[in-house]
Amino acid sequence: MNDHSQLLNRSMGIIYPFIILFGLYMIANGHVSPGGGFQGGAVLSAIFIAKYLSQPIMFLDLARVQTLEKTALLALLILVTLFITLNVYQTFIQVIPYYLILANLLIGLKVACGMTIIFYRFAFYESRE
Amino acid sequence: MLEIALILIVITSITAIQTRYLRQAVLYLGLFSMAISFVYLMYGAPDVALAEAIIGSTLSTILFIVALQKYKIYTIYYALQADELEENGQLSIHKQQLIKTLEKFCTKQELEAQIIYSTEPLEHIIAQHQYALILVEKNDVITIYAHPENYKFDSLKQFLEIEAHPRYHYEFLKVEEDIL
Repeated sequence: MNDHSQLLNRSMGIIYPFIILFGLYMIANGHVSPGGGFQGGAVLSAIFIAKYLSQPIMFLDLARVQTLEKTALLALLILVTLFITLNVYQTFIQVIPYYLILANLLIGLKVACGMTIIFYRFAFYESRE
Repeated sequence: MLEIALILIVITSITAIQTRYLRQAVLYLGLFSMAISFVYLMYGAPDVALAEAIIGSTLSTILFIVALQKYKIYTIYYALQADELEENGQLSIHKQQLIKTLEKFCTKQELEAQIIYSTEPLEHIIAQHQYALILVEKNDVITIYAHPENYKFDSLKQFLEIEAHPRYHYEFLKVEEDIL
């Protein structure tokens, strides 16, 4: 995987936007159609894996990605706790879809960050030497 | 359609176990994931099917292939006497032939041979270095010590039985964990 294939680079460049679009679609429509935060996040993490396959360069600051992941988890916990304790959904029933989309978005962010960290950690640091 | 997918699951899982090359086994596992995600879809669980298709057949396949890429270097230590190394690294024809045979084995197994000539004693190499094989020569008998986690050792034995050396005889030993 050390040779930089021109063909792979170009085709990956074309594919990126579609991967992002598909992941975001899956997250945004998770509450009405198959998919959801977890699956959409896994699709989003495929961006960085595709990036590794075309150019195996370490360009991410993994500590920052980890902070982002933890922030997403914290925000998700706060959101769910507030939603349940404040009882907004009993008075305003139309707020539920927005809550679901927001929660899915946070889950997707967390999963994408987590999978990216696992993959990059594995690909660049773990070896027998 | 469902029956075809179910039969495909059985076939791919058996071939994944039975195949000789790890790389092919990984690909069969990817196919298996694809088939089983289709089965989930037919049973009315599209969410599970999506997760299985993404994680099982894409992410884990790539992870396995990257792992195999990392596992490819096969380190062979050749323990020599000090006077044998001094002649400008010129080894005898028999030794060169032995090295060539081992390199042939590695090419056949999709591995990259890394051969290190060493004058250190055997115990020192076992304790200090990362190795797959250690060759020790004594009175035309080559003793091959293998690392306890060396999963290619049995195929190496079979290979060397077919490719006999004109001068050397082989003896195979597996380094036990408790010696380390």
